[in-house]
Amino acid sequence: MGTVHAKSLDPLPMHGRDLGVHPDDLVEPPEPEQESKQEILENKDGHFCVCSRDVMSHVNGLGRTKEDLLGYEISEVFHAKNLIDVMKKSHIARQRLLRLGIFKEVEVLIDTSEGSDALPNGLDVTFEVTEVKRLTGSYNTMVGNNEGSMVLGVKLPNTFGRAEKLTFQFSYGTKETSYGLSFFKPQPGHFDRNLTLNMYKVTGQFPWSSLKETDRGGSAEFNFPLGMTNHTLKWEGVWRELGCLARSASFAVREESGHSLKSALSHTVSIDSRNSAIFPSRGALLRINQELAGYTGGDASFLKEDFELQLNRRLFWDSVLSASLWGGMLCPIGRQPSCIADRFYLGGPTSVRGFGMYSIGPQSEGDYLGGEAYWAGGLHLYTPLPFRPGKGGFGDLFRTHFFLNAGNLCNLNYGDGPRAHLQKLAECLRWSYGAGIVLRLGNIARLELNYCVPMGVQSGDR
Amino acid sequence: MTLVAEAFVSQMAAAEPWPESATLYQPLKEDQILLSDCASSLAVQAYLRMCGLPVQVVCRANAEYMSPSGKIPFIHVGNQVVSELGPIVQFTKAKGNSLSDGLDDIQRAEMKAYMELVNNMLLTAELYIQWCDDATAAEISRPRYSSPYSWPLSNILAYQKQWEVRRKMNAVGWGGKTLEQVYEDVNQCCQALSQRLGTQPYFFNKQPTELDALVFGHLFTILTTRLTSTELAERIKSYSNLLSFCRRIEQTYFEDKKNSLKSSMILLINV
Repeated sequence: MGTVHAKSLDPLPMHGRDLGVHPDDLVEPPEPEQESKQEILENKDGHFCVCSRDVMSHVNGLGRTKEDLLGYEISEVFHAKNLIDVMKKSHIARQRLLRLGIFKEVEVLIDTSEGSDALPNGLDVTFEVTEVKRLTGSYNTMVGNNEGSMVLGVKLPNTFGRAEKLTFQFSYGTKETSYGLSFFKPQPGHFDRNLTLNMYKVTGQFPWSSLKETDRGGSAEFNFPLGMTNHTLKWEGVWRELGCLARSASFAVREESGHSLKSALSHTVSIDSRNSAIFPSRGALLRINQELAGYTGGDASFLKEDFELQLNRRLFWDSVLSASLWGGMLCPIGRQPSCIADRFYLGGPTSVRGFGMYSIGPQSEGDYLGGEAYWAGGLHLYTPLPFRPGKGGFGDLFRTHFFLNAGNLCNLNYGDGPRAHLQKLAECLRWSYGAGIVLRLGNIARLELNYCVPMGVQSGDR
Repeated sequence: MTLVAEAFVSQMAAAEPWPESATLYQPLKEDQILLSDCASSLAVQAYLRMCGLPVQVVCRANAEYMSPSGKIPFIHVGNQVVSELGPIVQFTKAKGNSLSDGLDDIQRAEMKAYMELVNNMLLTAELYIQWCDDATAAEISRPRYSSPYSWPLSNILAYQKQWEVRRKMNAVGWGGKTLEQVYEDVNQCCQALSQRLGTQPYFFNKQPTELDALVFGHLFTILTTRLTSTELAERIKSYSNLLSFCRRIEQTYFEDKKNSLKSSMILLINV
């Protein structure tokens, strides 16, 4: 699609083309924003052109993408006042176009306005875009946990031309089959406001509770930012089928077998100022989630609250101190007791290290039943490897890690007051401490090798 | 039950005596349980009473899914869970309680044959009438089966069960039968039972066996359950020795629990 142009910006030249603006003028206070009038000039196959008083903007290479979507993303360019501003704003516009996920490549070319319809002292900004293919597929095989499975994925990006995405995934395994269909639609002009619709069937096996669960259902989720916070409103309807994983499952788990229908509304608010999700070195995260089930139909009826707080701070010598706190509470509404699939679980390498996976709290004959209230906290100190081997390269992916984890999971008696609840959560505290090495895998996962000493182990924990 | 599973159960069972806290689980009595499940449950209750083993009946909406084999009823004894009459008989035998010890081999074979007859004829006929007859399925079976669940799960589960039973009927060759043919089969089964019973108090003279419990469970439930038509109950009522057999067992073993077999006495006396 056209010739190759320079993709990224070179260091900005301080003296640009003379637009009647001197470099000294750049330190002037910004003028009040005037709505620069934008006209759509041409609109034919693959080519979209918008023109304002000083800047003419072209987008080449469109196929099925609709033009009104693009108008929002590149509108900032028209508010630029000089060449350097145009370059900065076009760079931002390029990032925004790439963020939509519908273009494989976006290249920007800025030139003087020439030709019969040239603007006096105007600039031509051209975005050369390459759309992604209409249909992409993937095929993987996975082996693990005594099960092999084949996963087939089909993705239709930019389905109707406004950055919608339709994904279908199908997993066929030796033990279980699951599939899911998802439709994502952002609001044109406000990519952060989007709607996702899901339909799925997933199966899970939980050996720590000798339980297997099959969920079939759908959900509708609406995300929107509000100031500094990000909100999500979601409705979910799930048909849950629980069963015993083995004939030797405890009777308490056997009593939970059967079908139930959960229809729940949930709301999540999160503020995330960390600079990375896996190895943040500064910033904080606060996420609060509440879920109300039973008022839109279904059998399950409860109110569930949980929160997560994480603070990170860089200390001397490249080390990072990280403190985190989680907690949650589940209140069944009505006379029914809570279902094992709704309760909280605690323990394992992601929460309280040194204990078996989800193996803390109420249990019956070795099967962990989960609890209705929990809290967990951790204090971590990440430092670079001692003596810094492989510095600047491979060694940077590793960190040493000292930690202190604590937590508790129990069932509360809702008749008592809050004082009694706090007391119950504070007694029988489980905690552990230790050290280890952490490896960062890309930007999505981390691998840890730890030596830990569990303390405060209660009878029944593993 | 497979040989290995049988050996496993008897090994575990022989270890402890029958506890006081044994429980029997079945679906909800008032709103949910269907004819076939009620018959099977009553048969097990009768058998345990005949053995003199105390058991408490607990009703749960998800009893069918709790059961290890998916069938009602099942008993929870100590930490063993055993379902269906056959395995339960084996289980109690391993604990030293058996009703058929006094029989010789020929009689035992005969007993097994008659039990198979009841399972293949009466039980299958009950399932057919409940789920393959459209009127009964729509008016009684589907609403009752799905009563503990909310919409749309209730419809999904009810239809799923109906399709499953219909597939099973086709597999055993009952798919093509009409209701009249089914009633005729029930009639023939009752005739065979009536002939075997004759004038004796129980099928094998003086002592009740598991066959008596099974026959009582099915016949009594059919006589006392309201269906869309009384055709089935009428066929059984024509055999007077079977009626007196049911009454006798009810009086002997279920007298103490006044409300356990509701409306039973009145119905039988009126016949």
